[in-house]
Amino acid sequence: MRPVSLAKSRTLPLGDPWRALVPDASLRRGSTVVVEAPVGLGGLSLALSLLSEASTQGHWAAVVGVDDPGVMAMVELGVDLRRVLFVPRPRGAWAESAADLLDGVDLVLVRPPSRAGHGAARRLMDRVRERGTVLIALSEPRAPWPLPADLSFRVTQAEWVASSRLDARYLTVRVSGRGEAVRGGEHVVVVPNRRGRAEAS
Amino acid sequence: MEQLLAIWVEPLSLEQPDGSTLRDTLVLLDALSVLCPFTEVVRLGLYVLPLRGPSRFFGGDAAVLRAVRQNVLDLVGVEPKLGVAEGLFCAELAAHRELIVPRGTNDAFRRAQPLEVLGRKDLATTCQRLGLHTLGAFADLDHARVAERFNKHALALHRVACGELSEMEGQRDLRLARRLAQLRGEEDLFEEQQGFFGQRGAGDDRADAAAHRVRRRLGAEGIVVAALRGGRGPEDRATLVPWGSPPTNVRDLAPWPGQLAAPSPATTLAHPVPLQLRDGANRPVVLSARGTLSSEPTAVIFSSPLRREIIWYAGPWPLVERWWSRHRRRAHLQMVLASGEALLVVAESSRWWLVGIYD
Repeated sequence: MRPVSLAKSRTLPLGDPWRALVPDASLRRGSTVVVEAPVGLGGLSLALSLLSEASTQGHWAAVVGVDDPGVMAMVELGVDLRRVLFVPRPRGAWAESAADLLDGVDLVLVRPPSRAGHGAARRLMDRVRERGTVLIALSEPRAPWPLPADLSFRVTQAEWVASSRLDARYLTVRVSGRGEAVRGGEHVVVVPNRRGRAEAS
Repeated sequence: MEQLLAIWVEPLSLEQPDGSTLRDTLVLLDALSVLCPFTEVVRLGLYVLPLRGPSRFFGGDAAVLRAVRQNVLDLVGVEPKLGVAEGLFCAELAAHRELIVPRGTNDAFRRAQPLEVLGRKDLATTCQRLGLHTLGAFADLDHARVAERFNKHALALHRVACGELSEMEGQRDLRLARRLAQLRGEEDLFEEQQGFFGQRGAGDDRADAAAHRVRRRLGAEGIVVAALRGGRGPEDRATLVPWGSPPTNVRDLAPWPGQLAAPSPATTLAHPVPLQLRDGANRPVVLSARGTLSSEPTAVIFSSPLRREIIWYAGPWPLVERWWSRHRRRAHLQMVLASGEALLVVAESSRWWLVGIYD
């Protein structure tokens, strides 16, 4: 197999359970994905799980603005850490750092430190379209991503199941997207499960 | 200016007609790149790498020099000449003299060099007629006087002598990088885009270039990569190291005895946050020497007067570790708060710390 086909492919692969919920079971290059969740209710885990399949298939990813990424959690989610760059504290330069990385990696997960400005968001989304990469913007309902995204995952509810330890978290996620066959509506997924992975409920 | 380790490998400096020199150059480059990914071949026989990162990783300059020396000896069969100084120009001079120029003395080192090191016989002769014998004396000439007396090459050399430029024109073989890439390209044609085990593909190079840009923007600590190591809590097992540090074996994930089970928290605090646990009577909950809790925790109080109700907890899972020969007693506790958030806290030296958030 010539790897060039990989580079030119118009999509990036998604793992379970997301592949069943979005068109072509993949992320379209040039698109922006918004993950929105109230603080502490699984948004970060969800966003990180979107990186796993692409990273294991040889694509590079970057994580910008996540102060203290749980690297073990990423391993459990199936992310290949050999191809992940982290910019934990970009301070004022989160948008510039994300833009730098969009030129070099296939997926950039960004968590703006505060409410993202309209202009910065627009510039990043333009860059993503131009470079054929994928931007995953992680936000909270009280500081939402200021522009409509191509695809969005909104966590509306999170519930832990625990025995003698934390076993699994059931997330109710509202999936929506522009055009195409996004299976809109609410889905319950497990992120993470007992092995730390994401799966369908 | 960055402190550089220059490595002079005499046998690789003269190109053999059979193409072996270029291949050996590449082999050594790959070996040195394992020690420091920023290793460059400046020209045939001369390698250079920034010393700071590897030195921190290997525990000192001497350890890096030892590792480099051993690598060259193993692969080429001769002892290299090693030199450390700031900037490529001085680093190469230091290598030829096998000197380590201590920090802060780089200017004195450069100024004491004879003019011949600039490699221009006409310039050296003219200066000697003027009674100038060292780079320092040449550097002290007024820039305008140099401009009127010499050509523009001499002007650039004057700036090198003054320390304004860190390398001489012509010091680098600009074609070499491309020739090496071509050589590598032919060899790696079918391994492109794999990027594992030292083989590199186009995607890796693009990512490297982007990482370089971010590093320039934010500094060396601004862009990091993950390294995994043994340990019991998720906060011990993973660490973030500056991008460009020598690689560690991230596949070594053998479970440690007493390791906390998955799932791990998606946020692992590099600097744990102190907190208090209180029971129903608002008394502090403490961990006993036997690893049990003094009472049932019902609320968590952060250093600010921020209080959250605990609706479920599990643990404590005590861990007694021998860590640098002193006993370290710790216990993990998982908890879910009324707000729906789940936390991982640890008791250590009779205090509680927030180490992870399952967010």
